[in-house]
Amino acid sequence: MKVVIAGFGTVGQGIAEVIGMRQELFSKSFGQQVKIVGAFDSSTIVKNARGLDPVELVRRKASTGTVGTRKVDGGVKELIEEYDFDTLIETTPTNILDAEPGYTHIMAALGSGKNVITSNKGPLALRFRELSKAAARNKVQLRYEASVGGAMPVINLSRELLRGEEIFSLRGILNGTCNFILNRMKDEGLPFEQALREAQEMGIAERDPSYDIDGVDSACKLAILANAIFGKDVTYNDVIRTGIRNITEDAIALAGEQNKVIRLIGEINKDRLEVSPRMVPNGHPLAIGGTLNIVQLLTDLAGEVTVVGRGAGRMETASAILSDLLAILSEDRAKGR
Amino acid sequence: MKVNVDLRLKDIPGQLVGALEPISANDGNIRGVVHHHDDRVGGRIAVNVTFEVRSEHALNKILEVWRKREVDVAKIDSFFETFPIQYLIVGSIPTKELESITKALESMENVAFIEVRYTGSANSSSRAALVTGKASKKETIASLDQFFKQRSEKHDYILIRGLD
Repeated sequence: MKVVIAGFGTVGQGIAEVIGMRQELFSKSFGQQVKIVGAFDSSTIVKNARGLDPVELVRRKASTGTVGTRKVDGGVKELIEEYDFDTLIETTPTNILDAEPGYTHIMAALGSGKNVITSNKGPLALRFRELSKAAARNKVQLRYEASVGGAMPVINLSRELLRGEEIFSLRGILNGTCNFILNRMKDEGLPFEQALREAQEMGIAERDPSYDIDGVDSACKLAILANAIFGKDVTYNDVIRTGIRNITEDAIALAGEQNKVIRLIGEINKDRLEVSPRMVPNGHPLAIGGTLNIVQLLTDLAGEVTVVGRGAGRMETASAILSDLLAILSEDRAKGR
Repeated sequence: MKVNVDLRLKDIPGQLVGALEPISANDGNIRGVVHHHDDRVGGRIAVNVTFEVRSEHALNKILEVWRKREVDVAKIDSFFETFPIQYLIVGSIPTKELESITKALESMENVAFIEVRYTGSANSSSRAALVTGKASKKETIASLDQFFKQRSEKHDYILIRGLD
């Protein structure tokens, strides 16, 4: 299988490394190698039809700041359409305003008969139905396990292992940064600003944390889950959203008096599509601390199914992309491709 | 409404069926029957029955049939199923507003009781108020959700609901 990696930041580099590490698995299980035949970042591009060395790509990015030697001159869409490869791994950063450049990359790949694996929430949270239809029309796969919850396998679990279940509702913690901040406020009695600063110093929160603390990230993930698992036709803008910016120590303390903690919870059911802070009883699975992500599904046959995992990180996200890559290889083998 | 009764039945065939029949006849749902064969009082056998009925009216009709059929009711406990009320609001909440919220909730149907606890001074922009209590109907929780949502939107409070 020939792959091209779009975006060569933390996630792109992680999946390049993992593809290098798992060649034996690809050969043993599928009788073929997975070759990276192209990669590009915001300014440069590199390609080689015979395959690129993942270690060398990551080394060059680390030393020069760019993955390639040739400048990107606006021809990325044409490259994706015309270049000979099988699967695009789209890892450019999420843009929740217009989904670009991820949307153009994904549509170009699907439209030219290539599978797509993406960790990019923007296109999925804004134009999910359009992308799904394009994949179906072109008889290729669009997979996005890495877009929600990193290494927590909620999408493939729901759509494949729980395929026979009726899933009534979902709720969970989809943003590790908020969970870390709320947990620190409770454990140490810290004001919000101080817990946020601590998260920033530890590299858990971005310098501009609004995407996390205002619930934007969680709302994007919730919209993706609503579309992927519940068959809804919604966008990020349909999610009712309240962040944690104005949660005070007093609020945390009052909840604590009732033996409860405050957590930013995403919830999907027949009446609700919402991200908001909620009071959760101590000892409840959703009272989980740290930066972990957790999702609870309520199903008709299996009852409550809970999945927990690391929601972000270079190797964690690469692990989710790898699971999608293996699913495409399995599907191709089943179809005798 | 859940009811638990200790009955004393004559030790002759058909008594238990005769005691349980009015529960079903009044749309009740029998949840458990415990026969205490060894516990005989005045020649009668003790039976403990737990059941659900829709209303007090239905319970009274069952009790009336038991009286006619000479089923002794030694003890009766009835209790309504309750639903927790849990709301936390954060913002600039004047004392008058807290009083107004309390009054509004107390006047709501099916709110069994409420308790309001709050922190911070009336002038604080980050006062927190916790409203807890019990409602006797699930639909009341939906009305309360709406009440707090509207109140929070109007006054720019952060609303933190309990987990259902």
